[in-house]
Amino acid sequence: MVDVPAGPAPARITDSAWRVRTRRGGELLMSLLKNPTTVAGLVFIVLLLGMAIFAPLIAEPNTPDAYQMPRDWGALAVPPGSPGHILGTTNVGGDVLYGVVWGARTSLRLSVIVVSLTVLIGVTVGSIAGFRGGKVDEILMRIVDVFLSIPELIFALAIAAVLGPSFRNIILALAVVFWVKYARIMRAQIIHVKENEYVDAARVIGDSPLRIYLKDILPNSITPVVVQATLDMGNIVLVGATLSFIGLSEAGIAEWGVLVSEGQSGISAGRWWSSTFPGMMVFLWALGFNLFGDGLRDVLDPKTESTR
Amino acid sequence: MSLIDGIGPEAAPRARPAVASVKDLRVHFRSKVGVVHAVDGVSFDIGDGETLGLVGETGCGKSVTARSFLDLVPMPPGIKAGGAIEFRPHHTCPSCDGAGCETCDDSGRQAEPCDSCNGGGCEGCGHTGQRTIDLLEISEKDLQTIRGNRIAMIFQDPGKALNPALPIGEQVAEVFFQHRADDLLADAGASDGTEALGGALIQRKAGLKTSRIEDFLLSLPPLRGQRTKLMAAVQTRVAEALAETQIPNPRKVMDRYPHELSGGMRQRVMIAQAIACDPDLLIADEPTTALDVTVQARILELIRDLQQRHRTSVLYISHDLSLVKEVCDRVAVMYAGRIVESAATSSIFTDPHHPYTQGLLAAIPSANHERGRLVAIPGNVPELIDPPAACRFAGRCPYEAPACTAHDPLATTITANHEVACFIHHAPAGDEERPTWDRKVR
Repeated sequence: MVDVPAGPAPARITDSAWRVRTRRGGELLMSLLKNPTTVAGLVFIVLLLGMAIFAPLIAEPNTPDAYQMPRDWGALAVPPGSPGHILGTTNVGGDVLYGVVWGARTSLRLSVIVVSLTVLIGVTVGSIAGFRGGKVDEILMRIVDVFLSIPELIFALAIAAVLGPSFRNIILALAVVFWVKYARIMRAQIIHVKENEYVDAARVIGDSPLRIYLKDILPNSITPVVVQATLDMGNIVLVGATLSFIGLSEAGIAEWGVLVSEGQSGISAGRWWSSTFPGMMVFLWALGFNLFGDGLRDVLDPKTESTR
Repeated sequence: MSLIDGIGPEAAPRARPAVASVKDLRVHFRSKVGVVHAVDGVSFDIGDGETLGLVGETGCGKSVTARSFLDLVPMPPGIKAGGAIEFRPHHTCPSCDGAGCETCDDSGRQAEPCDSCNGGGCEGCGHTGQRTIDLLEISEKDLQTIRGNRIAMIFQDPGKALNPALPIGEQVAEVFFQHRADDLLADAGASDGTEALGGALIQRKAGLKTSRIEDFLLSLPPLRGQRTKLMAAVQTRVAEALAETQIPNPRKVMDRYPHELSGGMRQRVMIAQAIACDPDLLIADEPTTALDVTVQARILELIRDLQQRHRTSVLYISHDLSLVKEVCDRVAVMYAGRIVESAATSSIFTDPHHPYTQGLLAAIPSANHERGRLVAIPGNVPELIDPPAACRFAGRCPYEAPACTAHDPLATTITANHEVACFIHHAPAGDEERPTWDRKVR
């Protein structure tokens, strides 16, 4: 064997992979922060997440269930700035501030659960289809086509309506509707990535198919899924609020769509506040994740031209 | 070219059997218009320690032949239509323990004896007495133990053959984890399965069998020390392998991603990975085509140097005759899915016998050529869809005769170690007029 120049101390070398990864992560973050719109998106996200996390400090939790709106029957539809109700109350005495703050938690719960479920299902199905190919691919993709042929909002609405009005059913309905996109993306990515010579090279050194999938194919095909997941974090809250607005979640729950719906009848009478504030929240949430997702795409996938 | 002096046109027949013998290999592809006979009855031997050049133009089937060794041809659309690739794995010479002695011809390695006859010679090993594996027949699992371990491969474009998402060190380490887990454990001083749980876990880690949870357990204090030792052992091996391909500062390069290296460096990494487990056969599929000329020369030198030191046999695939002349002991010329001529390098370049080989050699431009049009072989490569029983070069051949379109010429030995598949050298069956050298003008 050839003499190897003495390297640095072993302890440092052992962690080199981790160090290299952190360096790469740092570079990624730096290029993300160069884009002002991405930063704006990130700021919105951080503010809204902060609100969700610190909800009990901003608005004292309702008992017994914090996700139920407290009702103040003595102050129906009071305007913003009233004592005890900074953002006013709804027609049925729900505190708008409470709904806005705890609604952020509800939205966070909704989007995190739905996105993790859909990514999990979508990536699994897409991976099997793309990796196996042939008949398996054909069957899975036809199923996906069926799902894609129905507009997502209407499909989710139908499922939620069939299951009955509750917040859990909205989560279920959204999960059923949203996974197909990931399956599509993942399959296309895998079919593209598995043609790469480094996959052959991995086979040549004796790696098993599962190992090749985990080491070579998955890390090189997951980026568009990450971007889509970020965008969906926003979209899902938007669709979820729509379903709640129509009345597919329990009445009285601290959720932005429900709040908008409660204030809807008062808009013509000039009581704008109970719809406007939660509506703005939905808008900011979706905007934040969309801006951030766009920035992420620009950084992770240099091939797509920035439209800005 | 002094690696194996025994191999040449004048030398006595090789005493040691070939590392690999391709026998009547047929690989076809199903397409919309018919079955493409991409490789159609290819036979050749790769001698022990020999560098065999497989030459031919694009689409002649040389890459498909090479890829068949490791089952890299996608099936479907590919079809294994017949033949065999016999491979005889080697191990460290038992009588000298790798130092080099009389019995192993100073190479320090020796072919493994046949399982069923233990060196006596039987049907199964083709009377060579050596363990013979048909690479087309064995299971995917068995093949995984051969890939990267006994047979390695270098690809054409090093830029595409490295995973862009993994640092170099981790990619090279993969080979050691995959095939040298025991050695790693020995290096790390954990081979005797010390503490019950830790020992088992660290063994699984060395064989790349750990799950995320187990990995996490290993990163905790009681086991962390062992894991650190194991990783340090791997890193040392990787650094050694990289240093052997003359990569400066291997410890630094290990932390780099492929895109941070130059083409030449990447190819060195690929070579380091390929020779890491000291394979018996190295398949180099146009390893320098994607590199510029100066780098190309250094990489060739490197491959030759490593081959001499490790006594590895090399199957060198190229379309560049001048390269092949430099590196190979023997050359096989492929045309349209067939081998048309094979001989020692010196005799093929000085005394080509097949009209196609002659045409190829005539087409090499040289400095003392007169200015003007470059020489080319007229016509195009034939379609390989359901080819008729005829010489594939008929139609482009200046010596073509009626026999050439009616019969298929077989490879015939004309002098020791020189085979040609052309009717000029052996008469076809039947009475058709056969081609002769004086039939130049059509």
